[in-house]
Amino acid sequence: MSAFLETLQLGRTFGGLKAVDDVSIAIQQGELVGLIGPNGAGKTTLFNLISGFTAPTSGEVRLKGERIDGLTPHDIAQRGIGRTFQNLRIFPNISVFDNVTVGAIGHENIGLGSILPWQKAKSDRITQKSFEALQAVGLLEEADQLAANISYGKRKYLEIARALAMQPDLLILDEPAAGLNETETQHLASFISRLHQEGRTIILIEHDMRLVMSICQRVIVLASGRKICDGTPDMVQKDTGVLEAYLGVDE
Amino acid sequence: MNASDTSHHRWLWTGIILTGLFVLVPLLLSLAGRSYFYQIANTIMIFALLAASMHLVTGVAGLLQLGHAAFYGIGGYCAALLATHFKLSFVVTIPLAGMMAGLIAFLVAVPTMRLVSIYFAVATLGIGQMLHVITLNWVPVTKGPNGILLFGGMKVFDIDFSKPVPAYYLVAVIVAACIYVIHCLSHSYYGNALRALREDDQCADAMGINTPRLKLESFTVSGFFAGVAGALWAHTAGYISPADFNFNVSILILSMVVLGGLGSLPGSILGAIILIGLPEVLREFKAGDFRNIIIGIVLFGVILFQPRGLIGEVSALDFIRNQFGLGRKAKNDANKTDGKQMRVGWL
Repeated sequence: MSAFLETLQLGRTFGGLKAVDDVSIAIQQGELVGLIGPNGAGKTTLFNLISGFTAPTSGEVRLKGERIDGLTPHDIAQRGIGRTFQNLRIFPNISVFDNVTVGAIGHENIGLGSILPWQKAKSDRITQKSFEALQAVGLLEEADQLAANISYGKRKYLEIARALAMQPDLLILDEPAAGLNETETQHLASFISRLHQEGRTIILIEHDMRLVMSICQRVIVLASGRKICDGTPDMVQKDTGVLEAYLGVDE
Repeated sequence: MNASDTSHHRWLWTGIILTGLFVLVPLLLSLAGRSYFYQIANTIMIFALLAASMHLVTGVAGLLQLGHAAFYGIGGYCAALLATHFKLSFVVTIPLAGMMAGLIAFLVAVPTMRLVSIYFAVATLGIGQMLHVITLNWVPVTKGPNGILLFGGMKVFDIDFSKPVPAYYLVAVIVAACIYVIHCLSHSYYGNALRALREDDQCADAMGINTPRLKLESFTVSGFFAGVAGALWAHTAGYISPADFNFNVSILILSMVVLGGLGSLPGSILGAIILIGLPEVLREFKAGDFRNIIIGIVLFGVILFQPRGLIGEVSALDFIRNQFGLGRKAKNDANKTDGKQMRVGWL
């Protein structure tokens, strides 16, 4: 069986710099995979290649066997990849609820014709999916507040809710724990585990080692644009290459 | 859907608006008994449509449009030329003028959509100037600065729409219908998609929103309605010239949208009423040269003390969605979900 999402010798150079170099990874359906690496390892670039924000200079990305590299971000999103952003990107001047609807709107792919009366079912589905997503992250109470007015921690969940409203097959979370304190991170960890237990396929890009090691079944390590390790958290923690990448080589 | 679902007051508000537009205002105008007042009323309605169409593209979708008068002008000239050269009935020229303006808007939008923020604004500025220069210098067609006189009146089934009262009703019906469509677009989930573009178009793209298509659509639709407004202007004024569609007009429309509240449809309409109505009111009071100064003070004061406009987007959106039941009716639906949860609890 071919993997749910796979990259084949994926590469991207910026000028002379190989930001992502010959990276092949495979994610199976229902997996929760951690993607870690020191700063500048190419995690976010890899992620941008998968979600269509950056076009690869070499290699392929396949989702459910179909090539998706070179497609626009909205095409890829509609094929079932939902994402959050490293530095929060919510829509500040609209309500929390309206923020979440955008994910559902993308999924329904609405256009000018959506205002016609017989398209009401679409609009009702958007309402329903948005409420479900808000309920899943526990933000129903804040639905009518302006997104700019809720706390930083809640905005993180808002971003996840918006991605959930897209009803994605694959959810990619880009450093969701950044800027959260210990308790908040623990809460987030159990939330991500719950999403995984509900059967979602998730890639978690994270700096917080403990978070990744505690909830992921498999961890992929990138360093200087290359994949240096791919295995269980235990394996990764004992790998000398990984230790070198993080701590530097002992002279 | 059950009866409690219609807890909004859509019909009440629709009734109030329609009564005002079709009964109260004409009544007041007829009491005033001067045909000049009808003309002002028509101008206000035409500019309300212009402001509403710019609201869609600039207020909601966040594309700063500095050349709106170009599409207004295309509509105006298109209607005037079709009526004078091809002797088409004015009823036919109105949608044709809109379509022509929409088509040109579409053609302009295709290459400019990749531009962002200020660059897009400058591109639209260029379009506006280009049209102005064309209308001034393409003398064989546009008659240049002399403008075009629309003769022959506007007759359909023995009703002469160039008379004040029928003209008022004609403009009112068309403007109301157009604004209704803009209302549907900007207050439904389609409007949310446009707002997402405005807030962060890259992010909207990652959510599966086809951002280039939506930009194209909103710009084209906005151009269409500006064209309809232009046709109405040409027919009701009976005369058009390049000065009716110059850069100042684009800025006047933009001022209406910002004064009323960027992203707020009722605000845009209020902006049109104030910026067209206030000078006339001041004229009645013989304010003379102080008129423009007073208008300037009003604009300055509003922006200073009420930067989100007279009717801000958030409150306008809340109110309209609650009362007209478009998209979600905020509080009701949340309660419904809670109700479901409770029932699960009892089981």
